[in-house]
Amino acid sequence: MKALDRLHADSPRYTPLALFLAMTMVPVVAALALDARMFQGIPVWIKPLKFLVSLVVYLLTLSWMARFADTATTQRAGWRWHECAVVMAVLLEMVWIGGAAAMGVGSHYNVSNRLMAVTYPMMGLAAILLTTASTTLAVAIHRNPNTGLSPPLKSGLVWGLGLTLPLTLITAGTLSAMPGHWVGGTPSDAGGLPLMGWSRDGGDLRVAHFFATHALHGVPALVFLAALLQRGDAAGSSARFIAPGVGALYAALVFGTFGQALMGHPVLAGWG
Amino acid sequence: MTPDLLFQLANPLALLGWLALALSPWSPRVTQMAAAVAIPLVLSVGYTAVVLAHWSSGNGNFNSLNGVAALFENRWLLLAGWVHYLAFDLLVGAWEARTARREGIPHLLLLPCLLTTFLFGPAGYLMFQALRASRQRKATS
Repeated sequence: MKALDRLHADSPRYTPLALFLAMTMVPVVAALALDARMFQGIPVWIKPLKFLVSLVVYLLTLSWMARFADTATTQRAGWRWHECAVVMAVLLEMVWIGGAAAMGVGSHYNVSNRLMAVTYPMMGLAAILLTTASTTLAVAIHRNPNTGLSPPLKSGLVWGLGLTLPLTLITAGTLSAMPGHWVGGTPSDAGGLPLMGWSRDGGDLRVAHFFATHALHGVPALVFLAALLQRGDAAGSSARFIAPGVGALYAALVFGTFGQALMGHPVLAGWG
Repeated sequence: MTPDLLFQLANPLALLGWLALALSPWSPRVTQMAAAVAIPLVLSVGYTAVVLAHWSSGNGNFNSLNGVAALFENRWLLLAGWVHYLAFDLLVGAWEARTARREGIPHLLLLPCLLTTFLFGPAGYLMFQALRASRQRKATS
């Protein structure tokens, strides 16, 4: 509970939102058990559950990283307004995805009636807005001279958070401009990879979107590992290149899986 | 999973809450935990799940009595309506027990109100409020 109190203190809006979303999983899981309806080969409630899980992970990550932020930045009125806007965007996104599931229709790519055709682009804007929370946190951590972290780790957080929005914009932007996220292969989630549901027999643009949006986890984690390996060497001169180097490699991974999917190849081509 | 099975589960659960309320002087705090929190929460999760899963398959609406009747032609929504009764009536009953205790209303006077709320919801609420109002007048005079 002490850890939870710390999250609440460091991020008084994202922490309660994450806990609230986690609790909404209870009736959604119960609905999954009661509902026989399918959408694109899987039960209609899988998609809202996946979004709930990822938003909870995202918000808890931001809440945890908020402890490294510059408090002069996070105490500004503009910061609070931005956080409130992000909270609204997250809630709207979940209402839209959950509402579509309740009606048994698609959410993304669904322009079959006026309501969905009007809300789909607006939900795209909400998705961008909620992703900007990673960018503002990158700035706030960058501005903090006393994070208590080693320089490569601090830099890794800033690079990871900073890359999340641009990489997501490129991948998810392309994704939404195409008629669907499958490129070739069977347009169904039924035969997808376990848990993620990514296509096994064709390109799936959700792979690159996943890695892009997880830059805020992937880059700091890889920097942490690299810093561990490098500890024996002189930590001074080369240490400052760790985070940018890892960031560049990570971006290459995102663009690699992106190109692979655009060419219609499954992510585990030859394995899965 | 059928609506009939869930009905068979929800009824005894609510009944357990009412039993606790009837025996509430023995352990008011445990009673409130069960009848005002735990059991209504379980019923609410079940209700919410049924509505999420089956609302879109209903044909009716809330705008006319015919619309409501059409909603309840769907057995899942009929079940949801029933669980709605169970959850909210129990919450009102728990509030009555809590209020009676706070205001020193004898349990023997509360019991008929609880029974009426259990069977005929709003009539029991009315009865309990009438009881409170009549007692307050006596206290001030």
